[in-house]
Amino acid sequence: MNKQHRKSLFYDKLSRVVIYFGGIATIISVIAILIFIFSEALPLWFGADSEKSLEINYDDFSKSNVPILIGIDEYKEIIYAVTDSGRIDFLNLEQDSIIKSISLEQIKSEKVTAFSKTLANNFIALGTDKGKAVLFQIDFKSEFMENGLRTINPVFRFIDLIQLDSLENSISHISFRLKDSESYTVIAVNSDNNLLQYSYNKKSDFTGEEQVKIFRSRLDQFIDTKITSVELDNFCEKLMVGTSDGQLLYLSIKDEDNPQLIQTIKPFGDEQAAITKLGFVIGDQSVIVANSNGKLASYMRILDEKTDYGWKLVNPHTFKSHNNSINSFSASSRNKTFITGDVKGYSYLHHLTSERTLLEFVGDSAGIKDISYAPKGDAVVLLYNNSRIALFEIDNPHPETSFKTLFGKVWYEGYSQPAFVWQSTGGTDDFEPKFSLIPLIIGTLKGTLYAMLFAIPLALMGALYTSQFSHPSIKNVIKPTVEIMAALPSVVIGFIAGLWLAPLLEKIFVGVMLIFIIVPIMIYIGLQLWNKLPTKILAKLKAGTELIFIIFLIIIGFFISQWLGPIVEIYLLGGDYRIWISEFFNQQYDQRNSIVVGFAMGFAVIPIIFTICEDALSSVPSSLTSASLALGATKWQTATRIVLPTASPGIFSAVMIGFGRAVGETMIVLMATGNTPILSFSPFNGMRTLSANIAVEIPEAPYGGTLYRVLFLAATLLFIFTFIINTVAEIVRQRLRKKYAEL
Amino acid sequence: MKNNIKSGEIFIWFTGMGLAVSLIMISGLLLLILLNGKDYFWPFQLNEIRLNDGRKVLGEVVKEELIPIHNLPDSLKNKGLKRTQLKIGNRDIYGFDFQWIDERNIESINYPSDAVRIERTEFGNFYGFIKELQIDDKIIKPDNPDFFDKVKQSVDKISSYRNEIKKIEKSDIGEVNYNIEKLRLEIKKIEYKHKKNEKSQKLIADLERSIETENEKYDALKHKVDSIREKANSYSIYCEDISGRPKTISLLNVIRFYKPNEMNFSDKIGFMFTKIIEFIFDEPRESNTEGGVFPAIFGTVMMVLIMSLFTVPFGVLAALYLREYAKQGTLVRLVRIAVNNLAGVPSIVFGVFGLGFFIYFIGGTIDNIFYPERLPSPTWGTGGILWASLTLSLLTMPVVIVATEEALTQIPRGMREAALALGATKWQVTRRIIIPAAMPGILTGLILAMARAAGEVAPLMITGVVKLAPTLPFDSYFPFFHLDRKFMHLGFHIYDVGFQSPNIEAALPMVFTTTLLLIIIVVLLNITAMIIRARLRKKYKTSAF
Repeated sequence: MNKQHRKSLFYDKLSRVVIYFGGIATIISVIAILIFIFSEALPLWFGADSEKSLEINYDDFSKSNVPILIGIDEYKEIIYAVTDSGRIDFLNLEQDSIIKSISLEQIKSEKVTAFSKTLANNFIALGTDKGKAVLFQIDFKSEFMENGLRTINPVFRFIDLIQLDSLENSISHISFRLKDSESYTVIAVNSDNNLLQYSYNKKSDFTGEEQVKIFRSRLDQFIDTKITSVELDNFCEKLMVGTSDGQLLYLSIKDEDNPQLIQTIKPFGDEQAAITKLGFVIGDQSVIVANSNGKLASYMRILDEKTDYGWKLVNPHTFKSHNNSINSFSASSRNKTFITGDVKGYSYLHHLTSERTLLEFVGDSAGIKDISYAPKGDAVVLLYNNSRIALFEIDNPHPETSFKTLFGKVWYEGYSQPAFVWQSTGGTDDFEPKFSLIPLIIGTLKGTLYAMLFAIPLALMGALYTSQFSHPSIKNVIKPTVEIMAALPSVVIGFIAGLWLAPLLEKIFVGVMLIFIIVPIMIYIGLQLWNKLPTKILAKLKAGTELIFIIFLIIIGFFISQWLGPIVEIYLLGGDYRIWISEFFNQQYDQRNSIVVGFAMGFAVIPIIFTICEDALSSVPSSLTSASLALGATKWQTATRIVLPTASPGIFSAVMIGFGRAVGETMIVLMATGNTPILSFSPFNGMRTLSANIAVEIPEAPYGGTLYRVLFLAATLLFIFTFIINTVAEIVRQRLRKKYAEL
Repeated sequence: MKNNIKSGEIFIWFTGMGLAVSLIMISGLLLLILLNGKDYFWPFQLNEIRLNDGRKVLGEVVKEELIPIHNLPDSLKNKGLKRTQLKIGNRDIYGFDFQWIDERNIESINYPSDAVRIERTEFGNFYGFIKELQIDDKIIKPDNPDFFDKVKQSVDKISSYRNEIKKIEKSDIGEVNYNIEKLRLEIKKIEYKHKKNEKSQKLIADLERSIETENEKYDALKHKVDSIREKANSYSIYCEDISGRPKTISLLNVIRFYKPNEMNFSDKIGFMFTKIIEFIFDEPRESNTEGGVFPAIFGTVMMVLIMSLFTVPFGVLAALYLREYAKQGTLVRLVRIAVNNLAGVPSIVFGVFGLGFFIYFIGGTIDNIFYPERLPSPTWGTGGILWASLTLSLLTMPVVIVATEEALTQIPRGMREAALALGATKWQVTRRIIIPAAMPGILTGLILAMARAAGEVAPLMITGVVKLAPTLPFDSYFPFFHLDRKFMHLGFHIYDVGFQSPNIEAALPMVFTTTLLLIIIVVLLNITAMIIRARLRKKYKTSAF
């Protein structure tokens, strides 16, 4: 072998390696797109993770004190515990020691028998065996040192000491909520089963002088069974009371002088078990109700004009039951998750709307005394009966999504019934994002439907004419024209549709609708005239003249329709078609509606359907058509009885591919509709499609957040959907080619 | 009649109607864009309309239409009453640019020859009359025989001042800012890498001193700009609108002025060319609704070129592998179908992939490894021209693969076999015979891919296109190509100006013109591809093996 020879062999091998590697890598990377997109959406279905990061025994730090209430700071550095003797201990977890202790002198030598804690900011009320309540707040101030280190100092802020019960009965349940920084309400139950209310209101009048108003009242008149739980909402309006025979009472104390019992219900049907725990989740719309059998459900009020007060309680969600009596509750201040604990030490983390039970903390023999959700929602502290304290770090990125919230009807707070809703962002902090993909899928199908209604007949007719009835020389003009049509950027079509067609259509809507009647009539009349032409002239005409004549007829038909439009509108539709539509169809006419989208997207899809159809129709073997014509069939008979059935798989695949294109079209829908996610197939209003939704929302979606992943899920759906449609179409087409080859 | 139905001729005509409607739509659309697109350049006559109530309006006619019948009393319905939309400009005086005028209210229409249209850098056009030219304290009145020549000279002079200011602000001050930014990042880097010690403190102090000198340079340049501006500001024109309301305009704000009613046809054509040149080579003004689209053209072209750099080699490799090297079987058939189908996957899906993979995954990783000092503000972990190009190269890859494969299948077997029989290796056959023969096919694929990329908007919106990029992704600072920068794009420009700008009506001509430009680019690319393809087909038809 000479040098030259060896060199070429070497290059041959090298090139083989490069092409194999490059080719396979390119193909794999292109296909890996789907895997990547799907993997980004996948974490939506992962549950939450938890890890026990700490377990301590309170006795080791502070003997002979029994903790009853527990809480933690934002940075998970300091745990505080309140004992039954009215002592507050602050335990620094890094230093592993108590850094501060406060004894509440106000209730010295009394025993704490009840407590209440707000969802955020640690406002606490303790009820004592002498009928007193002490109100205070625990705050954490973080300071940054010069060396960049951070220290956190607990701050105790005393608010008030109240003698709730003048007879000094022991307080068995208490609920303390602040309407604002100056006003608050305390609701308590004493051992005599009295329901006590204490409200403090500080208002400054127009002179700037502050006025304090204290209001005391008893609400026992509404209740005759033993009260086993009370809970007040943050607006100090809705008071929920649970009783020993399993009843839930909803009282309104909005008007202090005139409290009302809005409704009494049995939240768990006929079950007689006592309602042992009540708690509001963030937003104070839904109350979680738990009973001594471990049953768990959420209730919220909806408007109902049939009831006396206009409200009624409904039960939108139920959750996984505990096997034992539930006695503790804590809600997240970040989202609609909450955690419940029972007397056997089991605690479950649930999400309100998705009804998912995300975590289960298996207990040991000791029951749970109190639970506290960390302020950032990234940990929970559990306090057990045997004074053990456990801290669990939680990683719970997507609690709100489940198959049901994405694709099913969900009963959201503030809605009167379960619904499909897409609403990803809202104005307030406690806004709950609603991620139902159904309105978007419906919107996608709707847009596609109207586009196909417009595109399929035109493209099919055009393809049939071009392939069967037209002169070959016309084909050479039509095919490039259609190719140019296919190449038009969709942003151009969308812009014309949104800014030119939509306002124009609104003005001449009736005229445009008349075209569908007038133009066929014109064609018919035109044909009669054409046939009247002497054969001599017809013979002299160039091929394609009839097409030009048809174009001319259509243009005339268009102008006649425009002329007729206002006349029809005045004499048949009562002067304004929009009013007519709203009366006749009970629909509102929006300027950017589905008809506009149908025209625009149809325009984009026509060339695709046309090209593939034309291809399938014109490659029907000429032996078939010739045979048919030779047997005396007319051109039209041959076309409909021979060509169309033979090529029907090709037409099917053309329609499928057109469908796939319309499903994924983004810019046209974005520009030509109002982009409102509604559930309606009405042609007079718009829609929001999956693809436009991605384009609108993904720039605002934080990386790794639920919205981000839901949008990736939408992209996965689009990908899979179009991929399947195209594959089916492609396989059908290949089979057809094979068939033609055999014929 | 029965005959027609029986013979099916009427149905044939109906199918013809389907085709005709499609043809009418496409040509109508192109015509619509062409007619509206040229309006942006054309100096329309200024109509002085005297209304029945004695008021006068000056402006150019935008459109005429029938008054919608629901706005009319019954007695006047269907009388064909028209209304005219007039662009009256002077946004700073009136607060709006357009006015509808009912045909019934018009008393007379004149075309005053001295009516001027002044294009300004802010508040849109001014329509009215120039009454005085003020240079310092000198006042020149229109009765001066060469008044308008003088105004024109002054406008030209001040234009050169404005260009000078722009040049200083862009290149000189830009350079100072660039240097300061670089120094600042260097300080950050040192602070990040070394904890506080004497050496790093010294380095930082040095850098801070350099920033100080740069700041001095900046002040000097600023001063220079201010002095030019002051000089320019002593030139102004005193104008009046049609109803005599006064307005003094500093010549610094005047881009050009002209009297459309005095222009003859050839003047207008000439004017049109100046406007076309401005449109193509100038930067946008007034939140993209006036001026040119140069940055968008530049961004589009650069993005398409970078995309081609990735698409063509990899697409050709994949096609060669599939057609020439891989064993033909079910697997390859399936891969081929899959690749074909990728062309039908919605473009927004590719955009989502680009955002998740290129920007957040790869870009984020690069930032963490190479630019940790700049975090949390991202360098590569945000949209940029490279990521957009890569996304589009994935999107257009199937186009190139399919076109190349098609070309490869058309190469006659005989050519390959002859070469192999002569003892050539497979690579030699591929390089010397197959690739040259398939070249037109590859080129077709490339051109089609470019056309698709030029018109694609949805994936770009989320991978790096912005409405107004402060700098081009290419400039005189090392390393010249700044692939991490965001860029402007013609297609997105249409969407943004047409749908996001506050004054859509005033922006409409600009949108039409940009659309026209985009369509011309896309159609030309497609026609080129068609011609090459037709030639390719012919070549293999005639070459008999």
